[in-house]
Amino acid sequence: MATRMETSSGRGTATAHRGAAVRRIASAMPAWVWWLAGIAIAAGFPLLNVIGVVETAWLRVGVVSLIFALLALGLNIVMGETGLLNLGYIAFFAFGAYTTALLSSPKFEIHWPFLAVIVASTLVAMVAGFLISLPTLRLRGDYLAIVTLAFGEIVRLTIINLVPLTNGPNGITGIYPPRLFADAKPALEGIEAWFIIDKPLEYYYLVLVCVVVLAVLLTNLKNSRIGRAWNALREDELAAISSGITAVRAKMLSVVLSAGIAGFAGSLFAYYSNVISPESFLFMQSVIVVCMVVLGGMGSIPGVMLGAIALQALPQLIREAAGAARSDFEVYRMLIYGVLIVVMVIVRPEGLLPDKIFRREAHEVDPRELEMTRQSLFDLEEGEKDLEV
Amino acid sequence: MEPVLELQDVSMSFGGLKAVDSLSFTVRENEIVSIIGPNGSGKTTTFNLISGLYEPHSGDILLKGESVAGLRPDLVHNKGISRTFQSLRLFTNMSVLENVLVGMHSVTSAGPFASMLRLPSVRREEKAMYDKAQEILGMFPGRFSGPRQHQPAFSLSYANRRRLEIARALASDPVLLLLDEPVAGMNPAESHEVMEQIRMLREKGYTILMIEHDMHVVGGVSDRVIAMDHGVKIAEGTYDEVANDPQVVEAYLGKRAADATA
Repeated sequence: MATRMETSSGRGTATAHRGAAVRRIASAMPAWVWWLAGIAIAAGFPLLNVIGVVETAWLRVGVVSLIFALLALGLNIVMGETGLLNLGYIAFFAFGAYTTALLSSPKFEIHWPFLAVIVASTLVAMVAGFLISLPTLRLRGDYLAIVTLAFGEIVRLTIINLVPLTNGPNGITGIYPPRLFADAKPALEGIEAWFIIDKPLEYYYLVLVCVVVLAVLLTNLKNSRIGRAWNALREDELAAISSGITAVRAKMLSVVLSAGIAGFAGSLFAYYSNVISPESFLFMQSVIVVCMVVLGGMGSIPGVMLGAIALQALPQLIREAAGAARSDFEVYRMLIYGVLIVVMVIVRPEGLLPDKIFRREAHEVDPRELEMTRQSLFDLEEGEKDLEV
Repeated sequence: MEPVLELQDVSMSFGGLKAVDSLSFTVRENEIVSIIGPNGSGKTTTFNLISGLYEPHSGDILLKGESVAGLRPDLVHNKGISRTFQSLRLFTNMSVLENVLVGMHSVTSAGPFASMLRLPSVRREEKAMYDKAQEILGMFPGRFSGPRQHQPAFSLSYANRRRLEIARALASDPVLLLLDEPVAGMNPAESHEVMEQIRMLREKGYTILMIEHDMHVVGGVSDRVIAMDHGVKIAEGTYDEVANDPQVVEAYLGKRAADATA
């Protein structure tokens, strides 16, 4: 960073560079400052509820937002990093949720401990991801989108019709709250009560920890050889395989990993909502997660989290604003989402907090790249130098 | 010197068109061999066959005595053949440095879980990759220095993109380097520089097979030249031998010209 500033200011046009330098300092900090600020805001939010400034309804929105932030992080791996459009992503969420519901509810009187359930839910979703990736990874672009869309619908319809296992449209009710180190019965008495997570506040922090840990892990992954291989496949598959990347394996890894994250999120969702039914896993939900990724910024880890929180909080905001007319709101929700996405794609196609790669892709000339272009004019000078050889 | 690459009667056709017809040749260690020929003579098809993008219909391709014919491109790359493309194929939205790091994919091994946790082994590997990338980019003095490495590949000049493709191909320490028209579209001074770099690569011990139309470059660096026409090898030998071969002259300039020289 410092060397770049030296070279650029050394190349004259100092005033033009001063503004750029300020921007660069502002964008050099975030790595630390923005992350800490984000975590601090997210961690501090429930306190507003504790001191009574915001209603508990907002806390509930917060929990669901964070669960969707997990989902958006997962979808971002396939969509943002590897460039595979998945329109049936919510199916993996359903796999996780139903696994949890079956392993921790009165349905079959099974009561596995929390950690075992969440691991099982993740694994079931990963297996589903693996199986669906076998036939589909040879497909590209639109075809893949259609197949994944169909997969999502097949999973939902199977859930509706597999009544003995899933109770069909009625869903599974009475999911036990998560208990760390649990025995085989739901704890009705106060023993070990604080190992039980059953209040929105507790869920909030549980999910928040998961989101932060996952964001850190995925940031590391993004900056590793695996992340670069995914990006290379998205940029130019032929060049990527000719550079020694095994396309099928890399794509499969991204699909399985993203499925696992959705399964994990689904497990938390099932625990939190206590009741799950096929209505939670509609095609529209897949679309909303796609919207979250696009809105926040494909490939950008902070971006997709912000996108998820924004899109989940938006309905509540409007509901509050609408006041008495709140029952009408659901009718317009999709309309508002649609308008929002259209505006977004026109005005800021790279998303709210874009990843650098997508910022480059979205704009032919990006103001932030101008600085670099100015540098690469250096290439022209060099070319002239070449002519003198 | 032992042969690095050996093509034995390799044939490939698209429908009725024989793109490559019973082609045989060898490339020995630390040698620079050029393939020349008019457009459509099967040069790039030959490259695609060697690098695994096509599967030969008959014949065999041996790398150090081991058959690589019909292997997937990523496996061929793992065996030690890396290539550049005639029409540039960089990861244009990724940075210069990232392009080179991607080239090292097959010679590094960090797994997904280790990478997520950024274990010490992963950090060591990343550090080694970074150092190696600096070494490779350093082979093009002044072209990819300092802050340039963090610029997206699309912001590079045409000649630098070609250089970056070569750098990416070198990143995996290939046994055999395939260069598909390395100086296409370059001005004389730039192609002169690339020529110097190809010579330098040979001094470093690389073995190179290249396709080139620029006869100045072909004559300047090649140990041997193979001339192709209509998928068939029509001549092989030193640059002068091939340049004066009547069949080669005929392929380029027509029969009358060939008769005139003969």
